[in-house]
Amino acid sequence: MSHLVLDKVSVHYDGQPAVERVSIDVAKGDFVVLVGRSGCGKTSLLNVAAGLVEPARGVATIGGSPITGPGPDRAVVFQNDALFPWLTARENVAFALRLRGVPLAERARRADELLRLVKLDGVGDKRIWELSGGMRQRVGLARALAAEPEFLLLDEPLGALDALTRERMQTTLLDLWTAAQVGVLMVTHGIEEALVLATSIVVLAPGPGHVVRTFETGFSRRYAAGEPIRSIKADPAFAAARGELTDAIFEGEAA
Amino acid sequence: MSVTSYNERPTVKAGETDAISVPWSRPRPKRSWISSRAVSAVTILVVLAAWALSARLQLVSPVFLPSPAAVWTKFIVVARDGFVDATLLQHIVASLGRVFAALVAAIVIGVPVGLAIGISTIGRGIFDPLLEFLRPIPPLAYLPLVIIWFGIGEPSKILVIAIAMLAPVALSTASGVRGVSKERIDAARSLGATQRQVVRHVILPSALPSILTGLRIALGAGWSTLVAAELVAATRGLGFMIQSAAQFLVTDVVVMGILVIATIAFVLEFIIRRIERQLVPWAGRE
Repeated sequence: MSHLVLDKVSVHYDGQPAVERVSIDVAKGDFVVLVGRSGCGKTSLLNVAAGLVEPARGVATIGGSPITGPGPDRAVVFQNDALFPWLTARENVAFALRLRGVPLAERARRADELLRLVKLDGVGDKRIWELSGGMRQRVGLARALAAEPEFLLLDEPLGALDALTRERMQTTLLDLWTAAQVGVLMVTHGIEEALVLATSIVVLAPGPGHVVRTFETGFSRRYAAGEPIRSIKADPAFAAARGELTDAIFEGEAA
Repeated sequence: MSVTSYNERPTVKAGETDAISVPWSRPRPKRSWISSRAVSAVTILVVLAAWALSARLQLVSPVFLPSPAAVWTKFIVVARDGFVDATLLQHIVASLGRVFAALVAAIVIGVPVGLAIGISTIGRGIFDPLLEFLRPIPPLAYLPLVIIWFGIGEPSKILVIAIAMLAPVALSTASGVRGVSKERIDAARSLGATQRQVVRHVILPSALPSILTGLRIALGAGWSTLVAAELVAATRGLGFMIQSAAQFLVTDVVVMGILVIATIAFVLEFIIRRIERQLVPWAGRE
């Protein structure tokens, strides 16, 4: 099984250490969430995995071979959707297929399939600016999935959405994760979001960024097994986990 | 907190709100009963009336200022019978042909140059100083050199106009390219785009609104270079027509030519704005 591995990775910006010796292992089928206060290097680590930032020390590998640059095996979704406004929603989703020279009819069919998967059937012909923030982020996810990646790298994909939209997008993310059978590495600020989505949570602390604790959680697997999200959130174990995670994030910081 | 506690705050009387200059309490501007368009129309009418009046009262000799009616008559005559061996339409076609040929040349050269400036440090190092050198030189200054080098034929005229258009096209393209969001490029690369595909599928379309703005500016610059370009050895063209008329003191043709040039510039501007709206409807909506 394919693994996305960061092995004792350090990231420096202008000689200043931003991340120091962090190791993360994402197997296909895992949902690993990075949380931590601002400046803990979450996004830097994600960019290393994406191949957009080169580690100063340590290695990043996928399936055993070193990551040398961005590639469609690790599609990235950013906080600001980064969609292409000159294309329709369908054409945005089909972008990766177009790069590979897939014929027009085939990529339209595949794009519509993916739009249905993110519950956006019927908006294929809409322009990007006609869509709401949540819809745009769904298009972004569908576009990433079109590349048929082994891993999805999500950089605060729900960060710019309002609270209600975000809740609904969380279950969408879980549905996609189950349906597409990918490994996910995600960065978020949301504590509850991390608990809902993750199979394991890596808590980072700044100065320079390092791992404080790693949690193995099972709430997302319970959702995947068919339990409704509300009943999961109502579980006392969920509240307990939230308390524990919050403590870990703010550890060593005056209350 | 109960609702009544709001009353504890100092109340502001209706008339006093104007004095508070926080943005959200600033009084809305009074709805104006005249539009700026109406004002513009009145301005034009007043200018025309002043022109007609001064011509009618013979304040200045018709050699200096022919009446609007005389100019209009001349317009009809030149449109039908022509002036210096060509009808008005032929003059217009000749001039438009030169300007558009120059525009094509400016796009073919300027857009790649702008891309090079925006994308690569080396490209920027090469082309930036050249453009900055070329940009402020008035066309009349390099016209003699162009004629020495390329003769007095059609290519020289097109070249003079194209040189004036090059800088706006290239610099607008470059600024558009530099404005492309990094996330957009990173997203494309992570979807498997090669360097070349990023340029073709992300950078160029992202820069398109800026490129079109550059074309609009270039068209204006090119059109205003027209008279200079047609100074030497032209047999047709609006600029040539005006100059020939000036040599024989046919002032009504000069004035008519100026108005035709202005009108065409206005129409071109209008058309290219329509094209912009068609081609880049997303501009300003992101």
